[in-house]
Amino acid sequence: MSAPDLSVLDLAAGERPDPDEFVRAAMHWHFSPQTGSPFWLQRAASLDFDPRADVRTFDDLSLFPNVTDELRDVKTQDLIPLGFGPRPDVVSVIESGGTTGPPKRLPMLREFADRLADSEVAYMKAAGVPQRGNWLSLFPSGPHGAFDGARRAAQRFGDGVLLYGIDIDPRWVKKQVAAGNSQVVDDYTEHIVDQAAFVLESQDVVSLRVTAPVLARIARREHLVEIIREKVRYVGWGGASMDADSRYLYRTDIFPGVELRGAYGTTMALGAGGRERAGLGHDDPCIFDANLSLWVTIRVVDPSTKRTVAVGERGQVVVSHLSRSFLLPNNDERDTALRVEAPVGQVGDSFADVAPLQQFGGAQVVEGVY
Amino acid sequence: MATATETGLDQLDARGPTGPFRARNRQTITDVTGGPVAELSIVPALFIDRTVAALRAAAPLPREERVNALRRAGELFASAELCGLDVGDYQRRVSRVSGLALSVVEQATERIVSACGAALDQALAALPAGAVLDWSDARTQTGAALWVRRGEVFAVLAAGNHPAVNTHWLEAVALGYRVVVRPSRREPFTAARLIAAIHEAGLGQQVAFLPTDHAGADAIIAAADRSMVYGGDDVMRKYRGHPSVLPQGPGRSKILITADTDWRPQVELIAESVSRHGGVSCTSTTAVFVEGDAAAFAEALAAQLQELPARTPLDATAALPVFTAEDARRMGDHLARLAEGTVPLRGAASVVADLGDGSAALRAAVHLLPSSSSAQAGAELPFPCVWVAPWTRDDGVKPLADSLVLTVMTDDDELVDELIAQPGIRNLYVGSQPTYWTAPGVPHDGYLADFLMESKGVIKL
Repeated sequence: MSAPDLSVLDLAAGERPDPDEFVRAAMHWHFSPQTGSPFWLQRAASLDFDPRADVRTFDDLSLFPNVTDELRDVKTQDLIPLGFGPRPDVVSVIESGGTTGPPKRLPMLREFADRLADSEVAYMKAAGVPQRGNWLSLFPSGPHGAFDGARRAAQRFGDGVLLYGIDIDPRWVKKQVAAGNSQVVDDYTEHIVDQAAFVLESQDVVSLRVTAPVLARIARREHLVEIIREKVRYVGWGGASMDADSRYLYRTDIFPGVELRGAYGTTMALGAGGRERAGLGHDDPCIFDANLSLWVTIRVVDPSTKRTVAVGERGQVVVSHLSRSFLLPNNDERDTALRVEAPVGQVGDSFADVAPLQQFGGAQVVEGVY
Repeated sequence: MATATETGLDQLDARGPTGPFRARNRQTITDVTGGPVAELSIVPALFIDRTVAALRAAAPLPREERVNALRRAGELFASAELCGLDVGDYQRRVSRVSGLALSVVEQATERIVSACGAALDQALAALPAGAVLDWSDARTQTGAALWVRRGEVFAVLAAGNHPAVNTHWLEAVALGYRVVVRPSRREPFTAARLIAAIHEAGLGQQVAFLPTDHAGADAIIAAADRSMVYGGDDVMRKYRGHPSVLPQGPGRSKILITADTDWRPQVELIAESVSRHGGVSCTSTTAVFVEGDAAAFAEALAAQLQELPARTPLDATAALPVFTAEDARRMGDHLARLAEGTVPLRGAASVVADLGDGSAALRAAVHLLPSSSSAQAGAELPFPCVWVAPWTRDDGVKPLADSLVLTVMTDDDELVDELIAQPGIRNLYVGSQPTYWTAPGVPHDGYLADFLMESKGVIKL
């Protein structure tokens, strides 16, 4: 078995290495005793195939079982590939939302953190975000990764861009929703908006990152709507789904002139996922293209057969992450989406109209402000 | 505005202060044969929040302008082309989707028109004797109560069983509330037409039509100051004790005939009380208690009710409510289970009358209960379905205590006193009065204005 050329794993986003060559390089990195993580090296022993020999193409990734649940109690150190050496540059440990059980923890290595930030910077520049002017994030900070991700993107975006942050505790919100404490959820959401109002009123904010439910709360306050119309040029929403009618109202009635873009990110792919396709019409579904294709790819599958559904059909979102930093093939997300034809050069599917799975892994899925 | 789209169906748009809004999210409204009739726009919470905020910011018009506009809205409702439909088109669609006989819908139209003209008078029937309507009233110079709104925006989650349920919220418009209505998704045409008429009459900033899903309904209640919600026992449980919500539950209207009254001459009136409006109204009689020979009464009532013909709703002689054949069968099955342990005089086996076009009428059902405490007496089904039970003085008022309307045919004044004292009996009609009877000034379930208004002490020197 000759060693594949691992440099394809290091290409800049936008470059298009051969997908199968890329897969073979990732398998070599993660399953060679010198470079793989203790978790995967040990896990390989109980696989009924040899990843380095048998996983030759992207389609072969379907050989992997979904090991996501094992990440709830694995030691985080054991997920760091040995190839990063004795002093790996771990920028943070990020945790999943804990929607479907105990949280999962992943090491965010500098290698992938920078790759993701660069991709975000390129996306936002293409969307017309001004070079100067500050950002406001209403997404969770630690142990979740969203605020940190925004901070790294802001630092790399332009000179002197400041990132303001208002924290959100999505687990607390979900707990309250599950307990039926709708008044507490209501008060908490207002509390988030109250804090955001101080920043919006006093600072020069051109870019706002916010969940769809919190954005809807902001839209209830006419004076914040006016401030956003005046100052903000870009609103990136995520964290939940947005229906086409609400998107239309934001675009035309509430925030005309503001670029509104959706993002789909998942902790289990270290924050990558999809970004809204540019130029969608009011009647188009909200289509997400993979923002770091090859490193992070998406398939929309029938949950029972795990086969890709037809274009236009709804299926479960399955995400695979293959980078030097991390390996997680075939992670079943808690979401369903319509499968959309991917743009030329993107491996895997694009997807639209994300909606929560009603039941997931036996636990009731709870959507909240996040 | 109703225009043909790619589906070719009539469009029922949402309607806010800036006019109609056609949502991308639309639900097909089907008639009782299962055929599509229209598409209803389903608005998201964002639209609801924005609409309620805009209505809240709009000042109420002077009282006289509201009254005149409402009267004009009634005229438009009766005669104008609204939402792309003239009044005949409107009535036929309501009849087709609700399964109510066209004649019932036509009568409901008249009730709505007259309610538009009488909305303020109806509201003022609840005005406390010590209260005035304006602080400039001379009586405030020595001190008086001022009748004021408890809030600015009133929401209605309307029912679709009968078009005339939309008469009640007109009082709120007359009192200066901004009103948002979420229609029933079974029959949204009446609320759509009435709100279009009110807009046309010049109250565009005062009312809105907000068809939406369950999440949207919660958003409406959260956004409004006061809400009225129609529904079954589940809705009653959900909102009981909710300070800003007035739940409107099942009517369970009843009739009691005591031994001193000969029931024979009353059978026709009681049959009418069971079957009028197709038996779908909350004031339709669902149980009759007889002190004496209940079995003989039940037989006579069943004989009287069997005259009603099963026809498609648009037929001039239609009298029974019509549903999709599947829904009708389901209700027939439900009735069969419910009726276990009772004596069927017109039982579940004969209620479903298939009309051959995918729909079925539900014929009247009459069952004799073993006792006045049988649980079935509280079962309200959306067709003429009546339970007859023997009643004795020992049974007391308990079996009658949960009744929107109780008609009591008796000479016993003490019994009347006792019934009057029951808080769960919301209307008591003494004598040969059908339970569906109503008149201006007579409350429906208390005065709605009691929920909408309160008295504030004022003196202006």
